[in-house]
Amino acid sequence: MRERTVLVIDDDIDLVEIIRVTLEREKLRVIDAQNGERGFALAVEQQPDLILLDVMMGTLDEGFQVAYRLRSEPLTAETPIIMLSAVGERTGFAFDKDKDANFLPVNEFIEKPISPRKLVDLVRRHLPTTN
Amino acid sequence: MRPDLILTPEASLFVSATSLRHRLEWFNRLRWGAAGLLVTAVAVLGSVTRIPLPVAPLLAVAGALALMNLGYVVRNRIFPARAIRTEIRIVKLEMACDLVLLTLVLNLTGGVENPFLYVYVLHVVIAALLFKGREIFLIAWLAIGLFTAAITGEHFGWLPHHHLLGASTLTHELRYIGATLASFWFVMLSGAFVSASIMRHNRAIKDELVARQGELMAADKAMIDFFRFVTHEIKSPIGTARSAIETAVDMQGEALDPGARDMLDRASRRLEQATDIVKDLADLTRTGVLRHEPPQPVDLAALATRIVDEQRELAAATGQQLEVVAPAGHVTISTSAAALGKILGNLVNNAVRYNRDGGPVTVTVTPLRDGARIEVMDEGIGIAPEDQARVFDEFYRTAAAQKKSSLGTGLGLPIVHRLVHELGGAVVLASVVGQGTKVTVELPMAPPSGIGDGGTA
Repeated sequence: MRERTVLVIDDDIDLVEIIRVTLEREKLRVIDAQNGERGFALAVEQQPDLILLDVMMGTLDEGFQVAYRLRSEPLTAETPIIMLSAVGERTGFAFDKDKDANFLPVNEFIEKPISPRKLVDLVRRHLPTTN
Repeated sequence: MRPDLILTPEASLFVSATSLRHRLEWFNRLRWGAAGLLVTAVAVLGSVTRIPLPVAPLLAVAGALALMNLGYVVRNRIFPARAIRTEIRIVKLEMACDLVLLTLVLNLTGGVENPFLYVYVLHVVIAALLFKGREIFLIAWLAIGLFTAAITGEHFGWLPHHHLLGASTLTHELRYIGATLASFWFVMLSGAFVSASIMRHNRAIKDELVARQGELMAADKAMIDFFRFVTHEIKSPIGTARSAIETAVDMQGEALDPGARDMLDRASRRLEQATDIVKDLADLTRTGVLRHEPPQPVDLAALATRIVDEQRELAAATGQQLEVVAPAGHVTISTSAAALGKILGNLVNNAVRYNRDGGPVTVTVTPLRDGARIEVMDEGIGIAPEDQARVFDEFYRTAAAQKKSSLGTGLGLPIVHRLVHELGGAVVLASVVGQGTKVTVELPMAPPSGIGDGGTA
């Protein structure tokens, strides 16, 4: 069984490092990208087992746009996506997690600040059981 | 701010054909009044006084005025407002017709003998409300021309003269006619001048206000956008720092020195508090909740139950019992569910945090004749009388509250106060030290229009 890979797309390099340390202790391989464009390219190229995707990067909804692109790309259409979102964000971008989750092509949300234990739980839950 | 007080260029006169139309509807009503008044005056004067009025021609003039007005009303209803220039030309024509009819009435009712000749001034004032300087003088000069023509025409016998006072000779008295015309010219021209000046001044003030209000609203919006950006920018690094600390603690596990773990826990808690403050500040500066979320029916018992359920875990840690008391059936008011949820969330959270261990927290929902009352009651540390007014001040925390919990933001109650006000309600706090606190929120059946939709958030 090959080493399972998680792709982290987030512009906060410190947070990426935290996630890397946390997931590597769980014997997962972590690759990362600091923007949506690069993240999408990396997802197609490396086909990770799971993607952690930040909602707000360059623009208010860059994360969502990347999520839609990933879903419409056959190579990544089935890859689980967990979105990283800041709680109670009042950014002007109207988004209600409870209402909108059904319409979004993502599997789960994890709210910042990220608790490493919660992160590991969620990643384990959504990682495909077989390769 | 009341929506009808928000100034727009539209509100300023002489700007759009639509706003002009709006004024004209009022003038149409005035004209109905004028026609009615003329008919009444003819009827009353004819039956009560012995003044010999030509009833049939006067009623014909009143009929013509009413017919014309009907035409205007129908036109305004059927045809959409055209270009502003066309509309103004039509209005000028309407006013000219009014003046001709008025001159006709004056001619039929004694001409120079009739003291009602100054009704012309009313038209100049109306013109001042509608038009700018040039048009006001145009109307004044038209009135002067018509009146002068009628009076001189009657004097020289070119027009019939109807005697009001039997065989009055006033119309043959050149000195009287001269004096009347002089006073008429003077009043009309000075009236036009004064009205035009006042209106010009008013319009200048209004233009200034429109500009200033626009600037203020833009500045307000820029401030709120900036604040939004700042809160996000502050929250991100704090959140990452907290995650980093937690990760470090996790990595070390049991190997971490208890003293070091305590220090890191303290750091983490303070960062959490900082996040809470930033979030609360964002809530506090957010205005116009009702504009973002129009009022909708909210079942208060259901909302209270949901809010209480969110706090159960926290309450259970100190053995507290949370309860919602509501009458059978639904207590529903029209309001913002999000804002009211935040209000109740803050109040219940306060109650739980400052309650005695094992004490109850009760949320009571009561329907009122014109709204509803929600009470949140605890048996906690209470608030001293001298502190009770200050707890609604930003960042104020009582000494007892600080002792009980070091991590409050001091913004919970100010947010409650602000939001309740935005929803058109009132909040009252009653407390006895050592016995508990009861916060009562009363909300109207529906927020009064114009409340809570100010601001530009």
